[in-house]
Amino acid sequence: MYRIIGITIITLLSLHAVMAQGPPIYTDSPILLGLDGGGIRTFGKYISKENAKVYVQPVAVPYNFGSKFQVGAIAMFINKNPNAMPSQSGIGDAAAFAKYQLFQKDGKAKTFRVIAKLNQVFPTGKTDVNPALGNDSWQSQLGLVGGYVSLKYGIYGEVAYNVTSNGLPDNLIYNAAFVYPLLPQKYPPNQINLNVGLNGNFLTEVNSNNLLISSGVQWIMGKRVLFETGVQIPIIEDVPNGQETNFIFTFGTRILIF
Amino acid sequence: MKTTIKTTGITLIMLLAALFTTNTVNAQTTEKTYIKIEVDGLSCPFCAYGLEKKLKKIAGSKDVFIQLEEGEATMSVPKDQKPTEEELRKIVKDAGFTPKEITFSKTPFKTKKDDK
Repeated sequence: MYRIIGITIITLLSLHAVMAQGPPIYTDSPILLGLDGGGIRTFGKYISKENAKVYVQPVAVPYNFGSKFQVGAIAMFINKNPNAMPSQSGIGDAAAFAKYQLFQKDGKAKTFRVIAKLNQVFPTGKTDVNPALGNDSWQSQLGLVGGYVSLKYGIYGEVAYNVTSNGLPDNLIYNAAFVYPLLPQKYPPNQINLNVGLNGNFLTEVNSNNLLISSGVQWIMGKRVLFETGVQIPIIEDVPNGQETNFIFTFGTRILIF
Repeated sequence: MKTTIKTTGITLIMLLAALFTTNTVNAQTTEKTYIKIEVDGLSCPFCAYGLEKKLKKIAGSKDVFIQLEEGEATMSVPKDQKPTEEELRKIVKDAGFTPKEITFSKTPFKTKKDDK
């Protein structure tokens, strides 16, 4: 069960969030902009549940080939602190990714874009400790991300299929988000965004569906830093009795180092 | 005493003349071309960062200013380093946006920054 929770936390929350360049908090963005070639990004996230607290600090190195193709790698430090066990810290599972923009339609202060993305997770996290820091599973995720983004609001959607190895069930990820800026958008940014969304994870081989409703706030201060916080509450949760989640609280910051 | 005052006066006049000449030369060499680019797809502040970086890389570019609501980027370059319209369109496309009308002017464009 901890490994399935691991998939949810690492794959759903951290991987795409670290690459998104602005909103939304829990869903990927089809916008590959904001880089001029390469960069280094880091995204610290504190996740709190009833039975555990997890801190994830990934470092991502994306590189844009032109404006439509992006590749990159992600390494992460992870600290897991379960209530009933000693905490464990170390390197988590690493990942590589590629994103390609399939469609782009621009208008004045608005855009609609669709990208295809491929994530490959490598089982580099330690698994001989308890709780394990990795999932001990190779995971290949192929997905589509679309979004309509204007200065007034943004609507995002994502669907991805995650093929796993080593006894973990494959899973279908489906996310949607609505982002509403509370302040007039300008550049350089000083922005507060409201986020609401749905984040689903359907474990295909065990026919188990988990759907969270999410809400959060983002504060974008300047060109390189944003802070965000949010809460996710399960509305559908197919897990054994006693392992239910009441909430997932997150607090994070995204920094473009250069 | 009179000779000293006379010598000092002549020196001051010469210095002022030299200063004036230098300023005139500088004014000629720093003559600017102002550029306004209408850009479609500028939908979020974070997106604009890549465009700004690319425009700042243009030789001699100064005062790069992006207005999201207007979907415009304005800047200035020395007249003798003015990029072509094709070059500017390629820069905007490479940044991931759609270039629309590009205007060159001898006078600065009015921006919201000027209203403040």
